[in-house]
Amino acid sequence: MIVKDWCSFCGECAGVCPRNLIQVREYALVFNDDDCRDCDTCIKACPINALEKED
Amino acid sequence: MIETDVIVVGAGPAGSTAAKHAALGGAKVILMDKKSEIGAPKRCAEGVSIQGLEKLGIEPNPRFVTQEIEGIRLQSPDGTDVWLTKDEVQLPEAGYILERKVFDKFMAMDAARAGAEIKIKTLVTSVDKIDNGYIVSTESMGKEEVYKCKILIAADGPEGHVARWAGLKPAAKAKEMESGVQYEMCNVEFERPGVIEFYFGSCAPGGYVWIFPKGEDIANVGLAVLPHKAEKPAIEYLDDFIAKCPYTKNAQAVELNVGGDPVGGMSKKLYDDNIMVCGDAAGQVNPLTGGGIISGMTGGMCAGQVAAEAIKEENYSKKFLKKYDEMAHDELDHDVKRYKKVQEYLLTLSDDELDSIAHAFEDESFEKISTTEIVKKLIKISPKALLKLGKFI
Repeated sequence: MIVKDWCSFCGECAGVCPRNLIQVREYALVFNDDDCRDCDTCIKACPINALEKED
Repeated sequence: MIETDVIVVGAGPAGSTAAKHAALGGAKVILMDKKSEIGAPKRCAEGVSIQGLEKLGIEPNPRFVTQEIEGIRLQSPDGTDVWLTKDEVQLPEAGYILERKVFDKFMAMDAARAGAEIKIKTLVTSVDKIDNGYIVSTESMGKEEVYKCKILIAADGPEGHVARWAGLKPAAKAKEMESGVQYEMCNVEFERPGVIEFYFGSCAPGGYVWIFPKGEDIANVGLAVLPHKAEKPAIEYLDDFIAKCPYTKNAQAVELNVGGDPVGGMSKKLYDDNIMVCGDAAGQVNPLTGGGIISGMTGGMCAGQVAAEAIKEENYSKKFLKKYDEMAHDELDHDVKRYKKVQEYLLTLSDDELDSIAHAFEDESFEKISTTEIVKKLIKISPKALLKLGKFI
């Protein structure tokens, strides 16, 4: 997952992740990409469009 | 390893209140938060009911109260206003707009003064169930520290991991998590001072726009949408609204806030052996308004009190902690369940239906706002209301 530099680390993405794979630190998001099933729920939920899928 | 009775994860209003009441009841408490500043950045529109604060024993302080609410304005998509202002109507509850950055710190300080130890900039990286307790692993500025507690209270917000790591279900499914964004702005114009404003319809699919005044020309201007009903990110809806709305067209933002709001109602399971969940992490939020300060703090108070009793009794089993579940449901169910119904009804309404409801209410003079009166009138205009809200009468 690409986290854009305008991410505010609000944790919306972590809250909606059905597999609890996103850790929100104060100024960082840590994705467990290995277990991600590409459901895109986090990308759609981000209020400020700060997540993008890596190709 | 540091040993304590109770660890509270998250120093928002719910967590701090839990820590305070556990400490007041004699337990040894550590309150942790990953942030370097408690209360910042804020994640909400900052409205609370005055009666709610009183019930929690919180004295209003001019350092955290920015504005007393003078009334409510509801606007439908075609611009029809329904005004419910204090001088004309007896409102069911009086309210304040807070300064959360100050308020949240004051609540944490209350916890500290009651005897809780506070660890800021401390991230919980894992929790492990052991026999009659939890091991809590943390990280703070490069240093790892391990704690052992008898009772763990998860108040780590809508994104919280703690409850999920402990095997409890999250508060909201993705479909029930509002995606929220807000600017704090100046140069906002108000038709009537001190009135909180709500704008409904396709300007915010699945949610609404709010303008909450914070004194002078300052306001929180924000919205929340349900992502599966929205066609674009929340911020694009907000920027569109601000550009079109006559009251915000000259407004300038000085702060951007974002965050999720779990509006699916309270979690089915709020506790297990050695653990309780409160606040947004437990869905202790009014599903209609999305407001969760008072309800989260109420949940926190119940959890803290039960934690203190459990420590005294040396019984941290789910059988004992069930008392928290009963208290939280007693305190919050009435409102949460009712407002969930109203929210579900609102979600079914098109812009045209919202307009026709607003037209019917526009010239209505209410002396007192009662749910029954409003629902009766709604049913006349919108037969759907009978189906969804009939049982309120």
